[in-house]
Order: sequence, then structure tokens, then C-alpha cells
Amino acid sequence: MLLEVRDLQTHFFTREGVVRAVDGISFSVERGKTLGIVGESGCGKSVTALSIMGLVPKPPARIVGGEVLFEGRDLTTLSERELSDVRGDEIAMVFQDPMTSLNPTLTIGTQLVETLRRHTDVSRQEARRRAIELLEEVQLPKPEQRLKDYPHRLSGGMRQRVMIALALSCNPSLLIADEPTTALDVTVQAQVLDLLDELRRGHDMAMIFITHDMGVIAEVADEVVVMYAGQVVEQASVKELFDRPEHPYTEALLGALPQLEDGTARQQRLTAIAGRPPDLVDPPDGCRFAARCPYAGEPDGCAEHMPALREIRSGHLVRSEHPASERAGRPAGVTS
Amino acid sequence: MTTSPERQDQPFVFPSPRRKERRYPEPPLGPSEAGAPVRASSLWRDAWYRYIRNRGAVIAGAVFVLLVAYCLIWPLVSAYDPYEVDFSQASEGPSPGHPFGTDQFGRDLFTRTALGGRVSIGIGFAATLVILAIGVTYGSIAGFLGGVTDNVLMRFLDALYGLPYLPFAIIVLAIFGGGSFWTMVIALSIASWFTTARIVRGQVITLKENDYVRAAYAVGAKRSRILLRHLLPNTLGVLVIAVFLELPGVILGEAFLSFIGLGISPPDASWGSMAQDGYRAYRVSPHIIIVPSVAIATLILCANFIADGLRDALDPRTRET
Repeated sequence: MLLEVRDLQTHFFTREGVVRAVDGISFSVERGKTLGIVGESGCGKSVTALSIMGLVPKPPARIVGGEVLFEGRDLTTLSERELSDVRGDEIAMVFQDPMTSLNPTLTIGTQLVETLRRHTDVSRQEARRRAIELLEEVQLPKPEQRLKDYPHRLSGGMRQRVMIALALSCNPSLLIADEPTTALDVTVQAQVLDLLDELRRGHDMAMIFITHDMGVIAEVADEVVVMYAGQVVEQASVKELFDRPEHPYTEALLGALPQLEDGTARQQRLTAIAGRPPDLVDPPDGCRFAARCPYAGEPDGCAEHMPALREIRSGHLVRSEHPASERAGRPAGVTS
Repeated sequence: MTTSPERQDQPFVFPSPRRKERRYPEPPLGPSEAGAPVRASSLWRDAWYRYIRNRGAVIAGAVFVLLVAYCLIWPLVSAYDPYEVDFSQASEGPSPGHPFGTDQFGRDLFTRTALGGRVSIGIGFAATLVILAIGVTYGSIAGFLGGVTDNVLMRFLDALYGLPYLPFAIIVLAIFGGGSFWTMVIALSIASWFTTARIVRGQVITLKENDYVRAAYAVGAKRSRILLRHLLPNTLGVLVIAVFLELPGVILGEAFLSFIGLGISPPDASWGSMAQDGYRAYRVSPHIIIVPSVAIATLILCANFIADGLRDALDPRTRET
């Protein structure tokens, strides 16, 4: 196992109280595989990623519990100096917004060369040569010229390619991609996704792919973690999750997707999920999805007691009192 | 990047769970290949275009450059020796031979004003640079480290803010024995870097929240590198403005100290010491005090206009207000 996150808790200590942004999540990533993390805005996906990298803004955030085992080492116990040796070298990250993630005052070449020389003992010329190779690898046209360019001369898609080149520069064994395509337009999105997947296979990297887009997850992930309000609510292989979603939240997410059948769009309105996620300063004692769940009813008591994350089938974890396969004949939308 | 036309007319197909091999057209070419050559437009180029649209700032800039050029070049080509005393021509008013007239010692004021300008402007820029050096170091450390360090450094700065600038400069001159160029520079900069430190701290605090700073951390950049490579270069715009904001104060300070006799002393000239010469005879020959005073006023006015123009050019948002 390349990365094991165990019961990770990252809290933000704010004036309004302690925000439990990440509240006890566990998952693991195998070497060379892609783990997808899905969930809506504010569910803790990005904070999870930043916690793994040790990049949560402190203050106000702090990792208050749990372990992040990377190749057996607990990253949460490393000093800032030790962590900075891991970052970029063994774990790299691609961020959401390529427009703001490159320093406007340095050329593409400088940023690549400096990153390369940070982790590897190479001469400037050698680093420059490597930089050109990297830009070729991310399919940026005319890489030699791009080295001399400042970021403002590049489009969003090109900048994201540069960001990916930066992330790949030291051959990390884990790449964390935090909504890498969200800020890009749809055609460029597809290109960047394909590129990431191709590179992941070529470099034999593992990847954690964070998104709110179920369609993207279906495309890239091997294993999927669904997060809701700082917790894991469902985890399964991508095929299992899309074929037999168990958690009402996952079902609702899939129901909110446009579907194509026989080449034509299904003539159905997309269903939105009513309500909002709970306040993470003072989350409810029971299931955090209870307030929005069409199946939550009093006999289950799931509004009072937090359901455990249980293995409903081999490799399929769910945190709900009424997963789809246990809802015998009970019509959706009926609440007590 | 624009959407490529081949894909635009197809209905959008939602990605299916099964992974398919797809080929996309080559990524669109960069701006320079798109047909007509696109001129690189950068922050500095944009700022330049905004600056030259501001008429006041352009005139001020031109006058400033002319004034500096006059101070640098005129003493080299002037027919008069600025130190040569000739009582036969003392206190003459402006004439074709002496455009600004002569002082009580018969020295050509046009030449002496240039010479005094060298000293005044030289001290002004040197002291401003010292102010920047101290202010940037102090402010960036406070802003970058944050937390307790920031608090301690800023409270210390609050205490220093209580120091009155000119009395403090006078004390420094008394200790070091005033008069020379460098003691003046020290006296003028030692109690005036506080504002610059605050500006830089504020900038660094804003900048360090930027995505590219986080991205730099994510590739393992060390803290020193983040500060020197990623934060400070981005404060340059503010620093350029700060130079022209600090300059008038420093030049005025120099003039004041020289005027009350603590600064540059005769026979060397600065605009302040020339004004002091003129002050003694202002009833008889007022031009002797008017010439250096107008020079000081012109320079300060120019610096203020330039600072204003630079601020509008480098930070267009402030224009709206």
C-alpha cells in the first residue's frame, strides 16, 4: 500500500467555533492506481488533500488526529523541513485554478528548472533539458520557446499542462489532483484528463483525483470514495459504485447526472438534492445526511445515532442505515 | 484556449464508466502562432501605457528627468567655477550671463543650483534606498513569518512610530557630527523606514495567500526561496511607488537640516544650505533664496505627481475611487 490515511481529522479553529472539515476519514491508495474522491463543495475533499501534503493553512487549521502513512512513514509527524523534501519529490499536487497557480513574475522555464534543482542534483543545463522534455511530455507545442514565456502568455489549458509538468518533474509516486479540470472549458477538460491518465500509466504513479463531477470520476478512477460533511459515506470500486450505489447520497448524486440512452438524452428532469449540508461547527449526532435523506425515518434512529461505516459487500463500504440493497420495496421519497 | 471547431458541433457525450481510447486534435497553438503577431503584454508594459495616458505624470516625469540631467551635466560644462568667490559681481540679479544671478560671494547661481541639486537629489535617492532596504527586510520578515514574530516586530514598530522624524535626525547628526553626505543619508533614513516596512508587510501578507505560493510549497520549495523568489518580486510595483512617495519627505528633510545649519555646510552646496545663504539677504537680493526654494518645490511636486501616476498605472483599481 502506497498511502494509507487512517482516521484523519483536520479541524479549523475559527471564531465561530471548531469546524470539523475532515472528521475521521480513512482510505488507502495502491501503487499505480487512481483513487477518486467525490463530494460537493465544502465536504472536505480539498482539505483532505492539503492534509496529506501538510499544506493546510495553520492557523486556523490543524490536523488533530489520525495518521497519513506514506510508504510506512507517518507524514503528520514530520517536520516542515522533512515534509518539504517529500513534497514535489514523492508526492506532487496539481491545483484547481491554473490561472493563479503559476508565479506571474517568473518564466515557465525558471519555475521548472528551480523545481527540478530543488530535488535533484543536476546542473542548470541538464535541468533545462529535462524541462523541455517535460513540456514535450505534457504536449505543449514549441517547448523551447515556452521556457522563455511568462505565464500570462499561456491559456488556461496550457498553464494546467505546465502545472502538470511541474508536478511530474521529480517523478513522484503519488499525484494529488485537486479538481484539475474544473477551471477549464469542456474540451480542454477532456484533453487534460486524458493526459493525466496517460502520464499516470507512463510514470507508474498512483493518483488521488478530487472532483465534484461524477462523470469525471467514472472516467479516471479505479476506486471511489464519496465524502459528505467531512466523512466517508461510501467507498467502492468505480464499477461497483456506478452499478450498485448503496448510499442515498450517492444515488442522489448519480440522479443529478444527465444520462444518455441509445444516443438520445433521457427525457427526464434531473433531480436536485434538497436542503444543504449540515453546519460543521456543530454537526448533528446522527447521520449527517439524515436531514436530506428521503429514507431517514424514526424507526431506524439514524437521526440520533451515527451509522457505522460497514462493509455491505466485499470491498464496498457504506455509512447508512438504509442502503439501496436493504430497502425492500420501500418506495423512494417516502418519509415517515 | 478556444474550443476546437471539430468538436463543437457534436452533442456532448457524458463520459461513460468504461475507459475508451480517444484521440483529440493537437492542442491549439500558442499566441505567437495564431496568425498576426501578438505583442507580449505584461504588467510593466500595461503600466507604461496607463502611465503615459496621465498627462500630469508625464509632464512631471519629463521635468524630473530634465532637472536631474541639468544637475548632472551643467557643472561639467559651465563656464563658471561654482566655488570661485568674486565680490565684484556679488548679489547680482538675473542677467543673460547669470540666468539665476549670483550670490553674495559672486558665485553663479545657475551653476551652484545644479551642484546643490546633485547633493540634494543624491542624498534623497540614497536615503530612500536605505529606507527601502531596511523597510523591505523588516516588513517582509514580519509579514512572512506572521504569528508571534509579526506581533512583536509590529508592536516594536508602533513604539518607533512615536519617534519624531526631524528631532531624531538632529540627534543622529549631533552624535555622528553632521555635514557629510553619508551621515546625512543615515540621519534621514534611520527614522523614516517605518511606513515602508508596514506597506511591505501588508503586501507580503496578501501575497502569501496566493495560489502560486501554495503551489510552490507543493513542489517542495523552501521558505527562504518562497520569500525571495515568489513574494518579493511581486512587491516591486509597490516599492516603485514607495520610492517616489518617500523621496519628497527625504529631500525636504535634507533641505531643512541644511537650512538650519546642521547639514551640508559651506562651501559645499545643497539646496537647503543655499536657501540659508539667501535667507540672510532676502530683503536686498531675494533671488538668492527664491532660486533654491523653487528648485526644491519643483522636485517635490514632480515626485508627488510621478508617485500618483505610478500608483494609477500599477494598481488600476485605486483609480475607481
